[in-house]
Amino acid sequence: MLREDFIIQSNLRKILIRSNINYSRMDFGTVKGMVYLRGIFQVSHHHREREEGKEKEFVIRTLHSFEKKIKSLPGVTDVIFQFLNWRKEKGQWVPVEIEKREEEDEKKTESNV
Amino acid sequence: MKKRQNPTYKWVLSEIGREAQVHPHYADLQNHFALLLMAGGEMEKAESHFLEALHLNPKYREAILNLGFLYIEMRRWKEAEEIFLSEVKRHPKDGFLHHVLGILSLQTGKKKEAIARIHQAIQHHSYYRDYYQKKGIWQRGVVVLDQKAERALKKIHLNHHDAQFHNFIGLCLAKKGRSRQAVKELRKAARLKPDEIIFHANLGTVYYYQGAYSRAVREYQKTLEMDPTYGMGYANLSYVFGLMSRTQEALHYMKKAVQVNPRYADLHYNLALLYSDRRRYVEAASELKKALRINPSYLFARINLGVLYEDQRKWKEAKREYRRILQITPDDEHIRRRLERIS
Repeated sequence: MLREDFIIQSNLRKILIRSNINYSRMDFGTVKGMVYLRGIFQVSHHHREREEGKEKEFVIRTLHSFEKKIKSLPGVTDVIFQFLNWRKEKGQWVPVEIEKREEEDEKKTESNV
Repeated sequence: MKKRQNPTYKWVLSEIGREAQVHPHYADLQNHFALLLMAGGEMEKAESHFLEALHLNPKYREAILNLGFLYIEMRRWKEAEEIFLSEVKRHPKDGFLHHVLGILSLQTGKKKEAIARIHQAIQHHSYYRDYYQKKGIWQRGVVVLDQKAERALKKIHLNHHDAQFHNFIGLCLAKKGRSRQAVKELRKAARLKPDEIIFHANLGTVYYYQGAYSRAVREYQKTLEMDPTYGMGYANLSYVFGLMSRTQEALHYMKKAVQVNPRYADLHYNLALLYSDRRRYVEAASELKKALRINPSYLFARINLGVLYEDQRKWKEAKREYRRILQITPDDEHIRRRLERIS
């Protein structure tokens, strides 16, 4: 069956709009059922926790739930996360320190969601 | 103030107030908090938060206009006039700005200027001709300004502020997943200011949240009836049709979106996906190339182009695209593996 990338892409957009993720610094694409996500992963400031420890836990929960939702979309064969500030290692999400310059470069190269 | 007693208002005010305290450097939070304070009649506090929003982002148009309306409410005509005069210089075809300047001229006793502004408002937006006619201000091609007309004129600007308020409350409710209440608020906003595209676009988006796709389509279509050059209206329609798996319509609207906004790389990318799903590979490749001309760092467009070449067994071209991706992101193992596979 032909995988319809545009339908996956539309569903992905819907997931992001309905979530508490700030997707203004994130890009996503779909290639033959494979979903790519890049950029900086952040939760929207309306949903941020005040305490640092709690905030980290909240972001990790958000990442897990986001991943689960994408994988459950019909036609999705795999998800590749290439976030600058979060990396998945042995099934766990870990924060990555990013240099300010890298962040600025990312801002410049972002395409619009 | 009636709004102060409203529980939704109280809830949104305390939420946004708390957010503004936690994140004092977000101009949007300062602006929205001020808008809420203004609606509750706390004018001085509202002024200080609008000014803070503009201190953080001096080009923040919504905050500039809101501050202008606040000064009108506070009867600080001169400060209001300064704001709207500077805005009309930047947006000379905005009928609403001419309309507000008309009100301000009336308030400061400059009747001739008020009449000229009303003429300009009519010239730039047909909505005002109909409105002025209905209120007896525009009679057989002549502006008539009696006391009744003056009262009617002031009502439009109050509607503007009320509509902004209901729109914002609607958006807050939508973010909290309270879609039904959000729809009510956004409908109020659209009723108060029926010519405001953004209210219908927001209403469309809330229906989209809810999964009420047919209603979302109707609202997005309204935005396009108001302004056929509103490119995002076509794109939004395309995405909704995508969710309904009606890709024929999705393709139709995405083509329109690209026609209206040819410099928007993301739209070319989405159009390419639609073509590629239909195995129209030549058109898909052409759209991806356009996206890349606009934004050469648009990696997904390049990945899709590489895969498209692979599908057509154009190995040399596919390798070229993958190598370019690796130049930008040398650590991309997936692309490296793709490249190795065809090398």
